[in-house]
Amino acid sequence: MTATTSRRFQAPISSSVKPPGGFFQEKDLIDGNRVIDFHGHSGRMDSFGMVDKPELMLHAMDKAGIDVACLFHIFQPDGTTSNDTNARFIAQHPDRFVGFAYVSPTMPQRMLPELARAIDMLHFVAIKLYPPYTPWPFNQAEWFPIYEFANQRGLAIIFHTDSYPTNRPRFLADIAPLYPRANFVAGHSGNTQEARAEAIAAAQAYPNVYLETCSTYRTPGVIEQLVNEAGADRVLFGSDIPLMDPRPQLGKIITADISDEAKRLILGGNASRLLGI
Amino acid sequence: MTSLHFSPRVPVFDANVRVGDRRDEPSPCRNREQLLAEMDRHGVARALIYHAQTESVSPVEGNGYLAEWLGEDGRLYPQYSIVPTPDSMTQIEGLQAQGRVQSLRLYDTSPAGLPFRPWAFDELLGWLSQARIPLWISLPEATLAELMETLPGHPHLVTVLVGAHYSHFLWTRPLLKNLPNTYLELSRYEPIGEVEALRDEFGAERLLYGSWFSRYAMGPMLFYLHHTSLTDYELALVCAGNLDRIMQGEGRLD
Repeated sequence: MTATTSRRFQAPISSSVKPPGGFFQEKDLIDGNRVIDFHGHSGRMDSFGMVDKPELMLHAMDKAGIDVACLFHIFQPDGTTSNDTNARFIAQHPDRFVGFAYVSPTMPQRMLPELARAIDMLHFVAIKLYPPYTPWPFNQAEWFPIYEFANQRGLAIIFHTDSYPTNRPRFLADIAPLYPRANFVAGHSGNTQEARAEAIAAAQAYPNVYLETCSTYRTPGVIEQLVNEAGADRVLFGSDIPLMDPRPQLGKIITADISDEAKRLILGGNASRLLGI
Repeated sequence: MTSLHFSPRVPVFDANVRVGDRRDEPSPCRNREQLLAEMDRHGVARALIYHAQTESVSPVEGNGYLAEWLGEDGRLYPQYSIVPTPDSMTQIEGLQAQGRVQSLRLYDTSPAGLPFRPWAFDELLGWLSQARIPLWISLPEATLAELMETLPGHPHLVTVLVGAHYSHFLWTRPLLKNLPNTYLELSRYEPIGEVEALRDEFGAERLLYGSWFSRYAMGPMLFYLHHTSLTDYELALVCAGNLDRIMQGEGRLD
């Protein structure tokens, strides 16, 4: 099975925002390609072994060949506390970590000011949203101001998606055409077979929908399915670091039965274009 | 610098491969040849296989489906499943008498209301211990309290705990510390840095590579193990050596 890369690709709106410091470019750890992990966290969940020790994360990244990890902190609904925590973490290694902004519609009055602060002052480059921590499916109006902000700025938004009522990937097909300058990423690509089909359908229908790969399921053939049905230029490598070690998640891409060109796009080419980094 | 391509640098014996169809999930490999092709693609030389029908339908009937997968080339090793019923015991004792049992897999009785408690399993576990047959136990269906209530009563029984997930993170250390004849199969175990941490704390001889194909893809955990600080000696133990030793009936307390 060989991936095609010919599906429609909408070039992201170039961001005027660049993070401080340069990104990791000297080594480009896998065969000279810069590898960008699109899905990572700062913060701790000790009962799951999720510990955001930089040395632990960098060791895993270096061993596998991951150059840059995109991180978000999602545990504080005011957004500000999470984003400041994330910024402090990233500041320890600004050449290896990139920040995504987090806000929640459970505190609607704070969403837009905090997004503007996180992007303009903290130099975060995209947005992470986590519908499971809210009562609202992400195609409902409570979320729309965030999408309008992303649309105006040409930013990417990554959602947690799965089979639960607030998180269905089919909602992407409701919002993507309304905000064509924003890009929408299905985190976990829906995780389960049924939800994954929704995510793929949304990516097939709209050029500003992308599919991110991290999942504890690691079902055989999923990476091949994403590439063959949505196109390699619409798939983004993610690991959920440090909830999950990035090495097996990277191994999903490396050991998938897809072309080298598809691997290059998934591992970093697509993320670089989408984030402008 | 790592590569877009991967192949293992040590011999690999996969400790956890499911073959055949579940009643609700057809297998991506329809026959032995397709499974061997998948193993070849990932550089896996040998695999310990059990049949999907033994998981949720019948361990007795499911065991019977394994024969068509085995072949004569020594690449696929049967792992029969067992449940504490007269029919299952009779089947396994018959296979054991023929020299065909090198390991067993415990059927999950919890949905039927039978807990993994000494009063229900001591007889079975005592026989396995005496016969030096190692037992695979699936952690997603187990409870920590039952494991710690029952297994310490059989210190010479070798057990392999399969399918630990990050949600089992708090279980692994108490289990490995208190059950010295227990091994951890790694197919789902992804907490960051844990392979190296458990190696440091308990030794590489307590860890086993298993993919749990076809539930999970065969390659990712193998890739992971090859991108750790494990020495090649430790890697060889985890990828094949420990399983070879267990299959020969050797326990850590012998």
